[in-house]
Amino acid sequence: MLQRVACQLLQASRLAAPTMGNQVIRGLSAVPQPAEDADSGPSTSGGRSGVIEKKGIALRGVPLYLDMQATTPMDPRVIDAMLPYMTEQFGNPHSRTHLYGWESEEAVEDARKQIAGLIGADPKEIIFTSGATESNNTAIKGVAGYFKDKKKHVITTQTEHKCVLDSCRWLQQRGWDVTYLPVRPDGLLDLAQLEAAIRPDTALVSVMAVNNEIGVVQPMDEIGELCRKRGVYFHTDGAQAVGKIPVDVNKSKIDLMSISGHKIYGPKGIGALYVRRRPRVRLEALMSGGGQERGLRSGTVPTPLVVGLGAACAVAAREMESDLAHVRRLEERLRTGITSRLQGVHLNGPADLARRYPGNLNLSFAYVEGESLIMGLKEIAVSSGSACTSASLEPSYVLRALGVEEELAHTSIRYGMGRFTTDAEVDRAIDMTVSHVNKLREMSPLWEMVQEGVDLKSIQWAQH
Amino acid sequence: MSAASEARSLFRALLRAGKHFPNYNVREYIQRRAREGFHDGAKLTDPAAVKSLLELGRQELEVVKRQSVVYGLYGRKVKNVLELDLPAFQPAGKPPASASL
Repeated sequence: MLQRVACQLLQASRLAAPTMGNQVIRGLSAVPQPAEDADSGPSTSGGRSGVIEKKGIALRGVPLYLDMQATTPMDPRVIDAMLPYMTEQFGNPHSRTHLYGWESEEAVEDARKQIAGLIGADPKEIIFTSGATESNNTAIKGVAGYFKDKKKHVITTQTEHKCVLDSCRWLQQRGWDVTYLPVRPDGLLDLAQLEAAIRPDTALVSVMAVNNEIGVVQPMDEIGELCRKRGVYFHTDGAQAVGKIPVDVNKSKIDLMSISGHKIYGPKGIGALYVRRRPRVRLEALMSGGGQERGLRSGTVPTPLVVGLGAACAVAAREMESDLAHVRRLEERLRTGITSRLQGVHLNGPADLARRYPGNLNLSFAYVEGESLIMGLKEIAVSSGSACTSASLEPSYVLRALGVEEELAHTSIRYGMGRFTTDAEVDRAIDMTVSHVNKLREMSPLWEMVQEGVDLKSIQWAQH
Repeated sequence: MSAASEARSLFRALLRAGKHFPNYNVREYIQRRAREGFHDGAKLTDPAAVKSLLELGRQELEVVKRQSVVYGLYGRKVKNVLELDLPAFQPAGKPPASASL
């Protein structure tokens, strides 16, 4: 009840007219403007300290970024690799007649090798797309389109990314049967259920390698083995996995894999689709045109973005061990820091770190209202599991599929850590989370009742 | 110059260049990763591996210098909350004027 009222109040304030003045000026300026106005407020000894004001919230400084599953900052090595192709080496890689085209094509092919090297594939098996969403769409709709006369069934899970679920719904509207497999409370898929679901007319199984909300790592080798045995294509959305955990398309018998640039410290707007050639995976193209990318994705290949993706993959291959160790250490610090100072904290996802990517820590704080928690944590940039922060009031479908209760789903916070996260940021996140949760709980009558030992589930609320 | 002394001077140069990097997260990353990389690299014995690692180190030093300039031109003007609260986390002021790239 409290939650709904609070959310409604916030909805109302969000619908009030936003400030337009700065936007208009920026639109007319030819020079890229910094996002904040830095000159308001006195300068301190440490340099300019401006007050940033956006969406009615005043910030004294830029928040600490702890939302690595949403996107990652570009590694300076990636930017360095891209800049020559954004300045003077601007040719179209498909131009065959001059230096600009030749050097651009060389850069694209080098990038292809770098990406293939990261996942154990052959460069000819990498297709560049505009991102993992397009790769997922191409894989699912492309395979279904090719097999529409021979097959009729697709299997996926309930915790997939929206683009996969939406593509499957699109197929359902065109007469395909789709099985959305449930997951266990820790997020892992039950292999026996998958085996039982495969039919003779199944064309594709799509299971994401690492989930973006709770970080669960699915048993890729076993799923791949099962699919190969039953003659079904295995597609995986590897956006959160590639470059972060070791992925080998041959070891895991993966037939199709989506790769996202901006999740591995690369640029936004670029991704790749791995399409196996031995045994050959057949699919229809989604983008019609000049037949680029082996006819599977027409359109000029964006050289700077592709070079960035390649550089990101090369850096990831070198840094994977170091990054994993770093992120494991930070996760331990964050989790024990919060759970040692707060009660009523639930981990969403498997507790076993062998089955969860440590850079993704999704915690639910009981007896706290979700939207007020997120609004209070404005000095760290985190994401909430509930879609309360977006337009609808529904809790995240992933948490619902895990069987998490609605109140807990509303108060979930996802901490995303990565290569550039520091110990000091984690410590600050712990302090802020603990102090804010305590502050909210102090105000909560439900918390008082829990402290007195009342079982909330046994209360009969009076109807007014 | 022997590989060991070259590694030492490269390490010092990387740390020095990294201290001036305008972005807090990258600055901390350079310090941490350089220490880790050179510490682990010191244990290598194969001369070819040592040579390629030193070459990589030299390239990364150039990247740090170039990207320092880029982030300085296009980065934010407002600091993050850690840098505001704790001066120890701020960059070490302007690099020497004769920065050769």
